[in-house]
Amino acid sequence: MASSFELTRNITVGQYLPTGSIIHRLDPRCKLAAFVILILGIAFCGTYGSNVLALILCTALFPLARIPIRYGLSGVKPAIPFILILAILQLLFYGKGFGTGGQTYFHYGFVTITSDSLRLVVVSAMRFVEVIFLSSVLTLSTSTTELTHGMEHLLMPLRKVGFPVHAFALIITIAVRFVPTFALEMEKMMKAQASRGAEFGTGSWWRIVQRTKDMFPIIIPLFNVALKRAEDLILAMEARCYTPTDERTTYKRYHASAKDVFAVVTSLVIVAVLFAIPV
Amino acid sequence: MTDSIILVEDLDHVYMKNTPLEHQALYSVNMTVARGECVAIIGHTGSGKSTLIQHLNGLQRPQKGRVVIDGLDLSQRKLDVRALRRKVGLVFQNPEDQIFEKLVGDDIAYGPLKQGLSIKEVTERAKWAMEVVGLSFADMKDRETFALSGGEKRKVALAGVLALRPEILVLDEPTAGLDPCSRKDLLERIRYLNQSENLTVVFVSHNMEEVAYLAHRVYVMANGRVVCEGTPRHVFGNADILHKYHIGMPETVEILHRLKRKGYAVNPEAYEVQETVQEILSILPAAGR
Amino acid sequence: MEKGLTVRRIVISGVLGAIAILLGVTRLGYIPVPTAAGNATIMHIPAVIGGIMEGWPVGMVIGLIFGVSSFLNATVPLFKDPLVAILPRLFIGVFAYLTYVGLRRVNPYFAIGAAGFIGSASNTILVLGMAVLRGYMTFGVAVGVAITNGLPEAVVSVIVTLAVVASWMNLGTRKKSKLSDDNAAGDK
Repeated sequence: MASSFELTRNITVGQYLPTGSIIHRLDPRCKLAAFVILILGIAFCGTYGSNVLALILCTALFPLARIPIRYGLSGVKPAIPFILILAILQLLFYGKGFGTGGQTYFHYGFVTITSDSLRLVVVSAMRFVEVIFLSSVLTLSTSTTELTHGMEHLLMPLRKVGFPVHAFALIITIAVRFVPTFALEMEKMMKAQASRGAEFGTGSWWRIVQRTKDMFPIIIPLFNVALKRAEDLILAMEARCYTPTDERTTYKRYHASAKDVFAVVTSLVIVAVLFAIPV
Repeated sequence: MTDSIILVEDLDHVYMKNTPLEHQALYSVNMTVARGECVAIIGHTGSGKSTLIQHLNGLQRPQKGRVVIDGLDLSQRKLDVRALRRKVGLVFQNPEDQIFEKLVGDDIAYGPLKQGLSIKEVTERAKWAMEVVGLSFADMKDRETFALSGGEKRKVALAGVLALRPEILVLDEPTAGLDPCSRKDLLERIRYLNQSENLTVVFVSHNMEEVAYLAHRVYVMANGRVVCEGTPRHVFGNADILHKYHIGMPETVEILHRLKRKGYAVNPEAYEVQETVQEILSILPAAGR
Repeated sequence: MEKGLTVRRIVISGVLGAIAILLGVTRLGYIPVPTAAGNATIMHIPAVIGGIMEGWPVGMVIGLIFGVSSFLNATVPLFKDPLVAILPRLFIGVFAYLTYVGLRRVNPYFAIGAAGFIGSASNTILVLGMAVLRGYMTFGVAVGVAITNGLPEAVVSVIVTLAVVASWMNLGTRKKSKLSDDNAAGDK
């Protein structure tokens, strides 16, 4: 009860943990590029061997970044029941519809377990842990400023086709910047409305409209406050003659060194190896 | 204290317990408020004022210590929170942000309607609440909320809480961000509620003139502790405490303290404007005699 | 509407993107109504609103922010797949915008509601479609989820989108407070 209003507690976006490790010191552009390469690689490789290797490599990132592994595990832990239930459901019902290929291990009534369906289940669970580990290391070792700068630089080539890279980076910066502000605002709103006797989600279960309207006292002020803030920010930016399309320079300049290039090349090699593993 | 409507004993509060961001906001705070009293809580940002007042209507429950509001013990797990919130009306900082209905009347009626009262009863309450904060029921109830001025919005939000007919009104910086005229008006309304409608009022403020105008008693908070407590006369007379915790004083008190430091025989506790005038007159040669 | 990239569009995208992230990381993004999942999500609604208010590019960017945030915060394997979590979300705001523009001459109020419905439906259909393509569920299961989860979610989306956009654009039909109806005879 006491903590039911503490929204900020659940927010882990951009939880930066500075340890000064080699991973922390990587050029953010290269780090982000390596991250994207690895995520895509993992998303597309579906064999046992490749996922075992990927899992080992992702785990090894924690000591390398000098981040305690429990930070990664804390992202996995709440998901374990989901993974188990989903795995069982997939195992029971997919054999027939999807993974009909491969060897049949078990067949009873509508339940069919084949080697393909088993692999699908195990691989998607492993893939999940790998992605959690990777994204935890990225967000724990990179500040949000570095992340947006890195992204902005990586997207630069898109300017040739008319994509507004700088504006896009600015949007992300604004979004990340305002999350904690709005979280506090929302917390205050929930408390204020609770003080006026609001109760959330107590109407009859089947009355969708009523239940949705029960949330209005929070949702509508939240959007109103946000849009009001937006108007203030627009005014402030226009007052300083901000023009989104102008060429801009940044205070901080990044210089990729050999180790940064090495990181990107390594990630490419890893992905190539992952795809090369046959089983 | 025989008739204390609010009793806070030895209250601790820790935010984000057991996380790296753990932060203790209150350290064994004690407070009593008598029925019909008007009490101010002053102190710097982050001194624990907001955390303390959120305990008064059960938004926060005591982690250690005791909070008893008019016989309701908040430590009890089976507390009727709705009954408590009906008793204690809490008005947050910038309460106008919480207005969500399109029309003034609907927003004020939201709380009472949630209590399941008849529309007739709700209308009566809304009418009382609007008139008492100085909004004409007939003119304002069908007005659109977005088109109101800042001061009017603040009054609508206040009326929305008053329509719950609380016995205790708790306000967090009620006049922050208002223009001087609306500020004065709102203060008069709060004073009226306290003196004529017999509401017990607890309010947080940074404005010492306001404290001097409204409060019977003052609690000074710093770093999660109550560091000083007493009548405004007593608290404002204590320049050391006020300086130590960087709390301003009303201009009247400021002048008297300065005069005293220069060696004049004035009493710095005389904070009301008329008294201050008397004090200053008393040291002027040949004046006032 | 003004063409091209304006400060307004940048800021609105950012701010609504922040709300999308916020709804994703707190339980406020879920409304407890009867669906297969036990609640309906409203996290896609900022993208819908952005699309309606400022055009499809804004809707698309907010969808992207929502997608990346749901990808990073996912607790189920399905949404740890960028192709399921991110790609389909790009189109929520686009479809909402197209619906709104197509219908606003008919009736702006109706157009906003329809955009809310279509935006939500495109989220459901595209995500589930992708999930089927990627082998996380069978077609039959996906259709089941679409009906039991997608429909209530679309209804919730219509209600919230209408309320927020109408409140901001200051549309609306009711001109009398609830308190007036009862008093009309005595008061006036």
